[in-house]
Amino acid sequence: MRNYLLKLCLLLMLPAAVFGRTIIVSPHTQIQTLKKAIDLAKNGDTIIVQPGLYTSINTIVNKELTILGEGKPVLDAHHREEVVTITSNNVKFDGFIIQNSRTGSMRDFAGVRLSKVQNVTVSNNTLLNNFFGIYLSDSNNISVINNHLSGSNNAENSGNGIHLWKCKYVLISGNYVTHHRDGIYFEFAKNSTIENNVSEKNIRYGLHFMFSDDDTYLHNTFRNNGSGVAVMYTRRIKMLNNTFTQNWGGSIYGLLLKEISDAQIEGNQFIRNTTGIYMENTERIRVTKNNFRSNGWAVRVLASCYNNYFTNNNFEGNSFDATTNGSLKENYFSNNYWDKYEGYDLDKNGIGDVPYRPISLYAQVIEQNPQSVMLMRSFIVNLMDKVERAVPSVTPETVKDEKPMMKPWKR
Amino acid sequence: MKKICILLTIAGLLFSACSRGPEAIQYGKDACWHCKMTIMDKRFAAEIVTAKGKVYKFDSAECMAGYLKENPGLATDKQALLFVSYYQAPGSFNDARKSAFLEAPTVSSPMGGNLAAFGSENLAKRFQNGAAGTIYNWNELLKSRP
Repeated sequence: MRNYLLKLCLLLMLPAAVFGRTIIVSPHTQIQTLKKAIDLAKNGDTIIVQPGLYTSINTIVNKELTILGEGKPVLDAHHREEVVTITSNNVKFDGFIIQNSRTGSMRDFAGVRLSKVQNVTVSNNTLLNNFFGIYLSDSNNISVINNHLSGSNNAENSGNGIHLWKCKYVLISGNYVTHHRDGIYFEFAKNSTIENNVSEKNIRYGLHFMFSDDDTYLHNTFRNNGSGVAVMYTRRIKMLNNTFTQNWGGSIYGLLLKEISDAQIEGNQFIRNTTGIYMENTERIRVTKNNFRSNGWAVRVLASCYNNYFTNNNFEGNSFDATTNGSLKENYFSNNYWDKYEGYDLDKNGIGDVPYRPISLYAQVIEQNPQSVMLMRSFIVNLMDKVERAVPSVTPETVKDEKPMMKPWKR
Repeated sequence: MKKICILLTIAGLLFSACSRGPEAIQYGKDACWHCKMTIMDKRFAAEIVTAKGKVYKFDSAECMAGYLKENPGLATDKQALLFVSYYQAPGSFNDARKSAFLEAPTVSSPMGGNLAAFGSENLAKRFQNGAAGTIYNWNELLKSRP
């Protein structure tokens, strides 16, 4: 019985231990820097930083703390070092303006660095003019939520916005990234989710995967980046309901796939890109229920790609629906809507009675002779394509949609 | 006199057209010939100028080595010029055949090759500073690639 009483007493005392102290940082009190507050704090404490401009030359968070900015206080490294480094598990870091990390080629200086930690949340921060924005390495179970990152926009000297290296189970949600090298960069980052982010006007890619398997990205917008998204050397990536738009220029793509396998690309919008999807050395990719509208090339599939399926997509207003660089084998098109389809549907089942060949003769001509692009939309080109459609001879025999839809898919 | 001037000008033009050298890389615009990535990082860029003057640009030494592995004819062509940028002199063009390469986990090159180029084996060793890693010369590097 006494034993139970003792336990009860201990239980009642627990809240005092769980709810730590609160330390206030303010320019007007004795604790004038975040660093001093961290020195004074114990695990489980909360630090509230009041509005003001604080110099932060690589402040290290090495305790389990909740650090909250009140009214967006500014942490500034004056280009001398990193701004904040988190080296402890169970940290929440919320509500700051973090600016002016050092740049340079010897180290990847970051606004907020997480190194070898678990269960850390970085949320509601604004990162301005840092070399790298939020840099995660060797970390698991991390949330990066509702941050706003703006880089230097300097092509030769800018790092990635949100950078992951050797991480697992990371959630990246609701962030806005601009003017960085890659908006979001994954290298050896697995089992992670990227959702509801906007990545625009980044110098290289909006989102970039290298050697990162089993990740999902959905409901993101990639607008006006060097290229929209690059997925390279990875397996089992799900790409769902994203928008890829206004990625214009030479060797610029909405979605660049290189050496990847078993990916799912579903429900995305590809609007006004030079090339909607570019595929090189891909295997078992399912491209389904996407809209390709007003692109130069909707899909470009190189001859090194096998067992890719294009089904239930809409192709509307693209200069070229599909192109390739050789003989395309074992890539399948079926049940897509093609606005250039000129066949008929006598049995009225909604599916055209003659196949559609998405690779036009003119696309093949341009492949051999790029200068002939100047003949685009000329009478002779239209005539050539019409003849080829009637009597196919040059376009690859295997590349055709046996069941082209008569009407676009409604979504 | 006037004729000589014109002749000299023409001769100058002809010679300038003949000499081969590295072509500047437009960082942030040019794409790597091997991996298709846009070349961004001045510390790691590389370039091949073939005997005929065709230029291939790469974002890293590992991409250049990878491309040469796929094109062994070009790899053995002594006429082809191979350039790499040095880690400690970003954006420079240096003869790859006379360079030293450090493969170390601390070097984060664009294609995951962990490879940086240096002017000499000594410079590479000094940078390595006793940490884990392997130093190659150009031929050893090519052999080490899969």
